[in-house]
This record gives sequence, structure tokens and C-alpha cells, in this order.
Amino acid sequence: MSLVNLKQILTKCSLQQTQRSLLHTTAICNRVQSGRYRITAKKDFPLTYEMANPPHQIAHRKSWNSWNTSNLQGGLRSSETAVEDMFIRKFMLGTWHGLFVSEIIVKRQHNMIRVAGIIRQSISPRKVYFLIGYSEELLSYWLQCPTKIELQTVADRKDVIFKYI
Amino acid sequence: MSVITRILDKNVVKQLPKRAAAYYSNKPNIEEDIGEFRVLYLKTSKAQAFTKKKYQKPEVLPPRSNEMPVDQNWGNVWPGPRTFHPATVPLPLRQGYVSKGSPPDKYANAELMKIPNFLHLTPPVIERQCAALKKFCTPWPKALSNDELCEKHFPFEVISSNYCHSSPSIRDPMARIVTIKFKLNDLKFDEKSRDKYLRLVGDRYNSETGYVTIVTDRCPTQKQNYDYAMYLVTALYHESWNVEAWEELKTEADMEKYIWENNESKKSVEKLFGKNSEDIAESKQYANAVINFMNEGESDYTLANYGDSVRILLGLPAKTNVL
Repeated sequence: MSLVNLKQILTKCSLQQTQRSLLHTTAICNRVQSGRYRITAKKDFPLTYEMANPPHQIAHRKSWNSWNTSNLQGGLRSSETAVEDMFIRKFMLGTWHGLFVSEIIVKRQHNMIRVAGIIRQSISPRKVYFLIGYSEELLSYWLQCPTKIELQTVADRKDVIFKYI
Repeated sequence: MSVITRILDKNVVKQLPKRAAAYYSNKPNIEEDIGEFRVLYLKTSKAQAFTKKKYQKPEVLPPRSNEMPVDQNWGNVWPGPRTFHPATVPLPLRQGYVSKGSPPDKYANAELMKIPNFLHLTPPVIERQCAALKKFCTPWPKALSNDELCEKHFPFEVISSNYCHSSPSIRDPMARIVTIKFKLNDLKFDEKSRDKYLRLVGDRYNSETGYVTIVTDRCPTQKQNYDYAMYLVTALYHESWNVEAWEELKTEADMEKYIWENNESKKSVEKLFGKNSEDIAESKQYANAVINFMNEGESDYTLANYGDSVRILLGLPAKTNVL
């Protein structure tokens, strides 16, 4: 098929469709993929509770990972809060490398920032204490807010697994 | 090429024996730790092979909640706001949704860590904190026992809001707004100044409740807005008492409503009776009837009212229905 042929077909199609396609009644994004996991053939892909529930279940079956008043209507400095929260997540994941088995929860009350999460018991308590102090100190300095790191530990990675798909 | 060989020679070949010595001397000697000092072996043997220290996993203690007495003081266990921790809370909590079976328990449950908890504010703790704060409290003044007394002694109501955000800044642009409320009757006015005041405040006066409400938000801080509101209150009051020179030129035709005292009707009554209108007992109701008639317009009611009042004023018998 030559290019001219193709062009003709296309113009024909568009002429036919312009009459109909002026009004869209269906949603544009029919296929939403973020935060959803595909079922594997062997059904051995582990999911935490957080991963097992897709984003539309937020406020129904699971709650937010960031708690602050900036998300509310009329909240102040929402963009700054979002960027800071992302920074905290990146910093924590890098500092506690491979230790977090849950999402990092950032809760803000007044100027206090609480960072919570679940870590593995794979490093010695001494190192954990050091990392807590280190992260708290650096985050408080960077964000100019008192920061607290409140962790829970699990013996095994599998403790947080909710289901396998 | 020659340069490279020389560097090689200098760095590697010459230091070889030194390095070997350093490596051997650092080797641990397990077997023969005799006496106070370790023996330095310059040559290695198979017997003193390097043994790696075995990593011992740190002992993990059982949850603290297992050892908690039933009658413990919970306020000391959980003194302040904190993220939920399953080993500290001796409650069999569960959180989450499972289509079949029971929801996930408290261990390794991130959902419980997300939601804000009030474990630091249990009723006994609140009671204890209130008791501790009580010594800083003073009794409510008896002279202000009810709302009427409060309003009488403090006629001005100043309303402003402070906002709490989860952010490092305590500033909120909404906090600048100041509202001042007071009853119009608390201010001293005469007829003219009251009228002028109402014209000045416009729709800030609510005729149903009798309150004047002034909202100021044009200045950047709350203090400035409060000062401005107080200035407005003062300025409005004094401005309404001002009488301009041109106001004296107002004639009867310029009046927006009928005032009996300024009119012919009063003069003719005084002329008729030969004394002041204040001394005539029935003049008051006559004046009211005339005012109603003039201000509200001619209607059956006002007209009949006027007729009756004239009869009373002149001492005539009441009107009888003539068939």
C-alpha cells in the first residue's frame, strides 16, 4: 500500500468519525496501572498489605503514607510538604539500605515530623541506634523541624507478606 | 617504558618483603597465647590458620507487653504521642481488611502505625494532667456568672482565629482577620447621630439582633487589624456626632420622615390649648397617630386611628357606628 493510499484511507476515516467523536462519554484512562501488581504464573510474587490494596482502596482498606494538613483543602505549603516527604523517603531508603520492608510513613503534627516504618532485624541493635540518631539529626537539620524515627522490627522479611500472587 | 619499570620497581618490588612481613605479623595466633603477651610469629604454619569469628545474631527479647503487670500505670508506659508499637501495647489489636478470615494482627502491621493514636490520652492520664494544671487556674469571677452580666461588663466582642498546621511555619494569612461585634444600644446616641451612624455602618448593622459587626482584614497582622478596627469604631462614633454647617440648612421639605415636633400640627395644638404640648395629657397619642398617618401613608387603619386620637384630644365622645 502506498503512502498516498494510506493518506486517503485516513482522511476518509477521520471524516466519518468527526461526526461521532465530538462527544466522549467514556473515561479517558480506562487502563490504570500504577500501584497494581500482575499475577505471576507460579503465584509466588509476595505482596505486603500496602501492595495488595490498589490506590483506589486508600481511605477504605488502607490509609495514607503521608499524614499532614497540607493535603487538606486550604492547606498551606502543599508542594513543599510533598517534596520534603519524598526527600525523607529517599534519604531513609538510602541510609537504611535494604532494611525497610514496609513503606515509609511520614506523619506531621505541627512542626514535628514522625517517620515510621518496619525494618528487618538484620543489623545489630547498636547500628540501628546509631542510624536512628544519625537520621534524626540530619533530617532535623535539613528540614528545620524536630524529626522522630519510630520503627518496628521484624525477624524475617516474610512477616510483612500479606499474600502471594 | 623505562619510567614505568622504574616506578614498578620502586613501588612493588622493593616493598614486597615489607608487605609480606606486615601481613604475617598481623595474623592471629590462637594456639599459643602463653603468658601475658602474644608471641610474634614471622613465619606462618598451617596450624595457625585464620579462623573467622562466627557472627552471632543478637538476641531478640520477647515483646515487652508480655511482662507488663495488669495494674501498671499506663501513663508511664506511653507518656507522649508516639507511633503505635505492638510490643508496647498489650492489646490484641487487629487492623486491615481480609475477604475471608480475620484481619491482620498488630505485629508488622503498617496500617496501625499510620493512623494517629490517642494512647497517651487515656482518661486517667487526662484526669492526672488536669489535676496538675488545677493549681494554675483561678475561679471564674462571680460578677460574670451569666451571659447578660458578661455582655454588660464587656460589651465588645473581639473574634480572631489562630490556625494549627502541620508545617514548620506558624503563620497563616487567615489569622489576620479580626471581627468586632457590639450592640448598637451600648453606644450613646441622639436621634440624629444614630441615624448618621447607621448610614455610615450600612449593612454591618443587623437590625434583627441589634449588633454592629466590623471585620478588618486589610492589614498583614492581627494586631494591626485589631488596632484598625478599634480606630474604625472610634472614628465612626465621633463622626456620627459631627454636625456640618450645611446640615443646618435642612428644611422641612428635606426631611426623610415626618417629625411631629417640628411641624405645624404641634403648633396648632399648642395654640388651641394655650399651653405646651408636654403639659397636654393626650398630646402624646395624638402625635403618634399623626406620625403614623404621615409616615405610613393614608390607609383605613391610620385614618381611623387619627380620627380616634383627635376625639380623645378634644374630649369628644367616641365614634358610634351610624347605621
